[in-house]
Amino acid sequence: MIDYLQRLGASGLATLQTLGRATVLWWQAMTCAPDWRNGPGLLARQLYFVGVYSLLIIVVSGLFIGMVLSLQGYTVLVRFGAAEALGQLVSLSLLRELGPVVAALLFAGRAGSAMTAEIGLMKATEQLAAMEMIGVDPLRRVIRPRLLAGMLAMPVLAQIFNVVAIWGAVMVGVHWLGVDAGSFWSNMQNVVDFDEDVINGVIKSFVFGAVITWIAVHQGYDVVPTSEGIAAATTRTVVYSSLAVLALDFLLTAVMFGVD
Amino acid sequence: MQTRNIEIIVGAFMLAGILSVAWLGIQVSGLTMQESTGSYKLTAYFNNIGGLTERGKVTIAGVLVGRVASIDLDPISVRARVELHIDNSVDYITEDSIASIKTAGVLGEKYVSIAIGGAEDVLGNGDVIHDTQSAFVLEDLIGTVLSTLFNEKAEE
Amino acid sequence: MADNLIEIRDVSVARGNRVLFSDVNLDIPRGSVTAIMGPSGCGKTTLLRLIGGQLRASSGTVLVEGQDVGRISRQDMFALRRRMGMLFQSGALFTDLSVYENVAFPLRVHTSLPESMIRDLVLMKLDAVGLRGARELMPSELSGGMSRRAALARAIILDPELIIYDEPFAGQDPISMGMLASLIARLNKALGLTTIIVSHDVDETAAIADYIHVIADGAIRGQGPTEQVINSEDPRVQQFVRGLPDGPVPFHYPAEPLLADLGLESHA
Repeated sequence: MIDYLQRLGASGLATLQTLGRATVLWWQAMTCAPDWRNGPGLLARQLYFVGVYSLLIIVVSGLFIGMVLSLQGYTVLVRFGAAEALGQLVSLSLLRELGPVVAALLFAGRAGSAMTAEIGLMKATEQLAAMEMIGVDPLRRVIRPRLLAGMLAMPVLAQIFNVVAIWGAVMVGVHWLGVDAGSFWSNMQNVVDFDEDVINGVIKSFVFGAVITWIAVHQGYDVVPTSEGIAAATTRTVVYSSLAVLALDFLLTAVMFGVD
Repeated sequence: MQTRNIEIIVGAFMLAGILSVAWLGIQVSGLTMQESTGSYKLTAYFNNIGGLTERGKVTIAGVLVGRVASIDLDPISVRARVELHIDNSVDYITEDSIASIKTAGVLGEKYVSIAIGGAEDVLGNGDVIHDTQSAFVLEDLIGTVLSTLFNEKAEE
Repeated sequence: MADNLIEIRDVSVARGNRVLFSDVNLDIPRGSVTAIMGPSGCGKTTLLRLIGGQLRASSGTVLVEGQDVGRISRQDMFALRRRMGMLFQSGALFTDLSVYENVAFPLRVHTSLPESMIRDLVLMKLDAVGLRGARELMPSELSGGMSRRAALARAIILDPELIIYDEPFAGQDPISMGMLASLIARLNKALGLTTIIVSHDVDETAAIADYIHVIADGAIRGQGPTEQVINSEDPRVQQFVRGLPDGPVPFHYPAEPLLADLGLESHA
């Protein structure tokens, strides 16, 4: 019994230590001197790998989710004679929740895991140590561009997801199922508020992007430099970031849309 | 991988993001340019606001002219004090206009409807609408109906 | 050339509760080829990290060119790093840059030379290691030997005074080993460098080293000119140098006596 408690305590302390290391890493990476010469180029490169490469999966998922949402929403609403409310249903669901969250989960799986693997491999092949020996701070050159790229790319991806999803919803709802286009759009416009819904969605995805890249970068940086170590770290990135996104989503939703 | 190509593509990516937000703003949330004409404040007191919320619509003849800015309880008259922001272009709300709380649509959303009166003077910023009609409360109606029926029965 | 480029005095390093080594004293004379050898896990790489300023010792001083690398400012460390080159075991080329860009990297970091000059310097160094034609290749397209040569070019691009080789002979065939050993010796002489080699490979290393330090069990067990160390009487040094399978580093992982394990002892 004592043994169990001891182990529990030890693992608790270990978790705190990991969290501490991750925080220090983030802080040092974000606050090191700005790199005006190489920074923009490195950032652009990371945005490409993290954002542009994720576009395909975001667009395809967005399209299908929009279409399914529209179809499911219609079958329920039409029973109450409220099919005209389809636009409101779809747009609010997407802008407030599905867009930021689903895009974030996809991002964690694709870009997050790739980031962890890449940084882990750089550590295992001593590239980070080599960088230090030459006199370049790996936090500045490798870590920070990735953190910034995640914060910038995630909102963009989420909004593209939203746009594509709403178009999918329009295709299914208006063109296939016959909901009146006029009421679809006007009801939607009446209900959706730019500040409340669109901007809050952007803020959510910004936070998600920051957290996902934070976890991904830390897991890679602290990896055990073997192939099993890298595989384990990659898995942890996906699992932890997904859980973090869902938990933060609840928190942010409560703060932003909560009943006062 | 050419640096220049990467930068161009990344630029396009960010532009796509900005355009998405713009499209969502205009097409989906109905953001329009006109909203920047500014508004002036009118206050109305109600006995019962019955579920009217902030950001609710204010209409004249069914047309949107403003929004409910705030709702709170006036401790002196013990009535609900509702602050309305009316668009500046609607400057013909007369002193004897009536503000009523009505129900819209299937979902029972509450909104404020203003019926213009015939008086000379027009309300300006900070003025109060004196004639108000509170929200329709189902329980009161049932209570009235029941007591009316009861009275009729008693008279027979 | 009697003075020392590097002086390590009474250095101890502990990681967590484990003491890696304690009270180590070591001199690296200028212009020499010095080897640091020992069994796996004895702390050779840690020693390199100390010299490179990536790690700080728990106690003692590490002087490089008279400066205590554990205590100097970031700018001073940066300036010092310009004068050191390190070749890592796996090459450690940056995978997102071409061979040319990898070799040019230290130049871009430490100098503001114009592109044309950078080009000349890079091509010359690549030519010295025989990879001028491979300059546009990416590290993933290189063989192991080529990676190492490219990494060597990168390590010497700034014409450092000190060059450190971390396990340069690991996993090489005998011919490459011989070529590499002679390349290290020639570079040391031709460029007037001070060379440190960390290695397992006694024969190749002894052939080119002026001095050897053997680290085992957390301390230096033999140090001095090559001849002297090879013929040392310390059993740990002997086992390492001769490659004996059993000795102070035992063959058997600690266990019960065999008879007991097989259940036969009770009959004794």
